[in-house]
Amino acid sequence: MRPPTKPAPRRRRRGALTPYLFLVPGLLLFAVFRVYPLLDGLRLSFTSARLGRAQYAWVGLANYERLLEDTRFHVSLWNTAFYTVASTLPILAIPLVLAVALNRGIALKTFLRSAFFFPFTLSVVTVGLTWLWLLDPVVGPFNYYLKALGLPVRSWLADPATAMWAIILTTVWWVAGYYLVIYLAGLQDIPRELYEAAAIDGAGGWRSFWSITLPLLRPVLLFVFVTHIIGSFQIFGQVFVLTQGGPGDATRTVVQHLYETAFQNFFHFGSASAMAWVLFAVILGFSALQFRLLRGHTEY
Amino acid sequence: MNEAGTAVSRRRFLTTAAAAGAAASLSAGTRRASAQPKATISYWNGLTGADGKVMDELIDQFTRETGIRVEQQRIQWADLYAKLQVSVPAGEGPDLALIHTVEVPHFASDGILEPIDDAAATGKGFRAEDYLPTTWQGGIYQGKRYAIPLDVPQHILYMNVKVMRDAGLVGPDGKPKVPGSRDELLAMAKQLAKGDTFGFAIGTVNPGKYTWGFQNLLWQNGANVYAADLKRCALAEPAAVEAAEFFGAIHAQHKVAPPANASCRDAFIAGKLGLWIAGSWNFTGLRDAKVDFAVAPVPRLFKQPIVWSMPHQYTFPTRKVMDAAKREAVWAHLRWMTDHVAEWTLKAGQVSALRKAHSDPRITGDPVLRTLLAQAPNWQGGQPVPKWVAAENLTRPVIETVYIGQKPARAAMEDLARQINAMPD
Repeated sequence: MRPPTKPAPRRRRRGALTPYLFLVPGLLLFAVFRVYPLLDGLRLSFTSARLGRAQYAWVGLANYERLLEDTRFHVSLWNTAFYTVASTLPILAIPLVLAVALNRGIALKTFLRSAFFFPFTLSVVTVGLTWLWLLDPVVGPFNYYLKALGLPVRSWLADPATAMWAIILTTVWWVAGYYLVIYLAGLQDIPRELYEAAAIDGAGGWRSFWSITLPLLRPVLLFVFVTHIIGSFQIFGQVFVLTQGGPGDATRTVVQHLYETAFQNFFHFGSASAMAWVLFAVILGFSALQFRLLRGHTEY
Repeated sequence: MNEAGTAVSRRRFLTTAAAAGAAASLSAGTRRASAQPKATISYWNGLTGADGKVMDELIDQFTRETGIRVEQQRIQWADLYAKLQVSVPAGEGPDLALIHTVEVPHFASDGILEPIDDAAATGKGFRAEDYLPTTWQGGIYQGKRYAIPLDVPQHILYMNVKVMRDAGLVGPDGKPKVPGSRDELLAMAKQLAKGDTFGFAIGTVNPGKYTWGFQNLLWQNGANVYAADLKRCALAEPAAVEAAEFFGAIHAQHKVAPPANASCRDAFIAGKLGLWIAGSWNFTGLRDAKVDFAVAPVPRLFKQPIVWSMPHQYTFPTRKVMDAAKREAVWAHLRWMTDHVAEWTLKAGQVSALRKAHSDPRITGDPVLRTLLAQAPNWQGGQPVPKWVAAENLTRPVIETVYIGQKPARAAMEDLARQINAMPD
């Protein structure tokens, strides 16, 4: 019997290259459509670039300095932060409660899962227009039924005290089904034996949830948490359709301010790019913080 | 029947069939040739309401009659303008675009629009004397023509007959009473506002941020967005502040106007709004919805009975390479629309910028169109400032804070003037 021969160095090299060759198309697309625009945006943020004008000049940090004085940008940063914080608990908790309930094998499980997921199949504009009508202060059904029940009605989207909460409600309705499905997948990965052992040891449902479900769901929770925070900082569609940032600037968010600066008010790509990079830095910082806080304790 | 006879007959049949086939294919070829479009032009507009369907019908008729195909892109106005600003420098703009007059200065100064040679326009039969002067002047920026006017969207006062009758605000003839002054309008609006019915509103949707309604009030009070030098913002002047105070008071103080984000059109159709200053583009929709309504000229609420108007203008977006055949086809379309503008007015409800259609008995016989035409001496449009539209965008959230009572009119106007003056070039 001949001993197995070692692969020749050239073949080994070729073998090592193969996975990279498979990655090339994806990397090329990533470079062209993600990395290049990102870096070009960074370059534009240091210029006076304006849509429709071929000539522009290098202005250094002027666009970033202007952001320090732009009170509407500060308001939109604050609103975005408020939305992110206020929406996090309902977005994390409501789908989790629903997923735990659906995981217990209740009746109509499949139907309910589809029903909860259905809103997520709709586009943001469809969702926005639907809720715009539901919350219409004059002809909307929401106020109609509140009035029929003898409850006070108000202009939910035109009142600075309630407009952002109405947007959060719309968003929760829209995305809860998506996170529910992710939670369900995580719940189904938890071995049944752990619950059985806990039950034998006398643990009740609440105790099992705290000591088994939550710790073992931590990777899923981390995923939901991080993606939600990133998505929240980029919120635009719901605001654009429901309030256009109003009343006044009560629901104006960073991406909306950026969009209007670039495409509606002044076509100032330089200023808008600077806003985009500030937002990018904020998201990067928060994501890093989340990973640092949660990753170390994740139990796989 | 014998075999030979059958053979002859078969041969004759085949010959006849072949001849018929050839003739048919020839005639089909001729038909195809005659139906072959002469040119295809791209046309972008923001006619997203009922007027868009009317435009479709007219364009179909135009294509049938001329063989010129028109590929339309219909986008919300705000998105259309952003798209023009992006597409034209990239060489991807349309052959023809319909825009509002106030957009002409900034698009012209950014090189998005091609100047139209006066001699060329005259040669194609478009002459100043045929148009209402304000509409024709609206197409000029810094001495150059950039647009040919189509029509004059404008405000009008709609009165819901049922709502006004229920409030006892009709005359002995059953016709609604027309407010003649600000005080009269407020008194009537208070009488109309009961339960979930509102007395008065300005604007189709989102009355809180309806800048065109705010501008109408400004102009009636002799104020404007920019001072006479067209450089300094004049919105902190007392006349502008007074107009803003009234704009906010109708909702925040007198409680006669719908919430800032309501659909006034839906409220009017549902019989929950009595007096409504809104665009002329709404009236055909109200007729379709079988609403019992009457109209009157926009009442004089301040010093002068100005009526806000915003002519639609045909423009030629700049092309990197000029296609003479397409340009001729665009002119042919403008000529055809000009010749059929009475149809546009009757079906879309937009008063023509051309004088000749105004004497059409079908138009003068329509009470709404007659009222719109009678407002012509009082029409006013935006100022020829490239930053006009950007200033309007800044105005929207600020007047909303006044409308909902969040900010006093004076502070809001001072803040707005500061923002407008600080706009980058």
